[in-house]
Amino acid sequence: MATQDLVTQETQETSEGSLPIHHRILRYRPGQRVVHWLLATSFLLLLLTGLPLLWQPLGFLAAGGYTRLIHRIAAVGFMLVPVLYLLVDRRGARELLVDSFHYTRDDLEWLKHAYRYFMGHAAEMPPQGRLNAGQKLHHAGVVIMSFFIVATGLVLWLAKDQLGANGLAITAMIHDLSMFVLTVLLIGHLYFTYVYQALPAMLSGYVDEEEAYLEYPKWVEEILATMAEEKQAKRTRKD
Amino acid sequence: MTTYAFLLDLARCIGCQACVAACNVGNELPPDVHYIEIKEQTRGTFPDLKGSFQNHRCYHCADAACVTVCPTGALYKENGLTLVNPEICSGCGYCVEACPFHVPKLVNGRVSKCVACADVVKAGGTPWCVKTCPNHALKYGEREAILAEARQRVEAIKHRFPKAQVYGETESGGLGVILVLPDEPAELELPVDPKPTAMINLWQKVVQPASISLTGLSLAVTGIAAVIARRNHMKELEEFHRRFQARLAEHEAQLTAQGEEPPGAEAQSNEKEV
Repeated sequence: MATQDLVTQETQETSEGSLPIHHRILRYRPGQRVVHWLLATSFLLLLLTGLPLLWQPLGFLAAGGYTRLIHRIAAVGFMLVPVLYLLVDRRGARELLVDSFHYTRDDLEWLKHAYRYFMGHAAEMPPQGRLNAGQKLHHAGVVIMSFFIVATGLVLWLAKDQLGANGLAITAMIHDLSMFVLTVLLIGHLYFTYVYQALPAMLSGYVDEEEAYLEYPKWVEEILATMAEEKQAKRTRKD
Repeated sequence: MTTYAFLLDLARCIGCQACVAACNVGNELPPDVHYIEIKEQTRGTFPDLKGSFQNHRCYHCADAACVTVCPTGALYKENGLTLVNPEICSGCGYCVEACPFHVPKLVNGRVSKCVACADVVKAGGTPWCVKTCPNHALKYGEREAILAEARQRVEAIKHRFPKAQVYGETESGGLGVILVLPDEPAELELPVDPKPTAMINLWQKVVQPASISLTGLSLAVTGIAAVIARRNHMKELEEFHRRFQARLAEHEAQLTAQGEEPPGAEAQSNEKEV
């Protein structure tokens, strides 16, 4: 991908290297955004239609089984998320998986100080790449828990009447616990989205470079380095 | 609160199906739905055979697994009996799997089982099966009285059925159907210790409430923290911006002093929106 697509404005070259002026960096390609919003929509529907089975005050919503129908339609959407991701942005899907399960020394340091990040202090955190260690853990949790919830969900969908009392209890318990973890992860996700004003990025795809530099200095530097290299290459070609 | 119960004397049941018919008609059940099922049981090896009838129905457990797992409250306990509010049943089928007696069924997507003729009883009547039984194998009344009569009946038949016993006094927290058995429960295809399994209780009484309350707790914590953290981040962004601008200005000044064109002027705006 050409660097013009990554950054929306030229950087300023100084003796200390590249200094950003006020740029916007592409963080989420269109395919990634579509996948994100499919995941978000299906997950919220699944949560809202599943909750009545756990929380009796909402139990009346399940009467007649309409929530089950919506739950299953949304489940198909949820299961299509990884398929769609591989179809529209194979590289992005691979990066997400690889990045989420690889942790550097900086990541571990970051996690030790995660409390500061939680309280809104991104500055002075150990420098992070495209994803900070918290986001990596979040993604890893989503991937693992989604596997469990889909597996148990399919059993409950297709073979509930063959489970017996203990089979039903164990399958549903894994389903409930996975959803509990996923819901807490969602609450954290919404929390950090609010604290770090991250919603516009998932709508437009671009992040403000200055804010990105504060949170992901290694990533921004990487992009700037690539840009500088390309510029150098262009200059060499011209000469 | 008074609890009610049935007496079901299997030593007296003659398998005539009268209760089944009365129940089907009285409750206006569809042709393939039965709240009571009677099965002939033959035990032992020829020529030493023993026969009896299984009179299978909802046993109205006090500690009812179906009520424990029911997410909507469509199954509930009242006066010792397990009743059904089909209006709010979601048809999830958890009760079908959880019941140690395999009693509840789904009919047209809603739970269907004996509700002890609650409407008839409320109007001062007797449940259809009890009313119809020609051999006094069935009785309905206050649980204490029913239990006392069951004990008497067991004593009375001990000489014919030495293993005769009362079933349902303590099973599943005490059943709402007290049975007089002519033999051991296992011999009559009745579960020896029916109750909600430990897994059912763990799922319903620990995992689910804990998940809900911990989710609520994390909502509360993040709700409060969000206000503070957002303010902190806005402050640090401002600070970061100021430092950035200062550095930029410094560089520009440096470049101008060196006689070079300030880069701000040449910076082409090739902003590209997606």
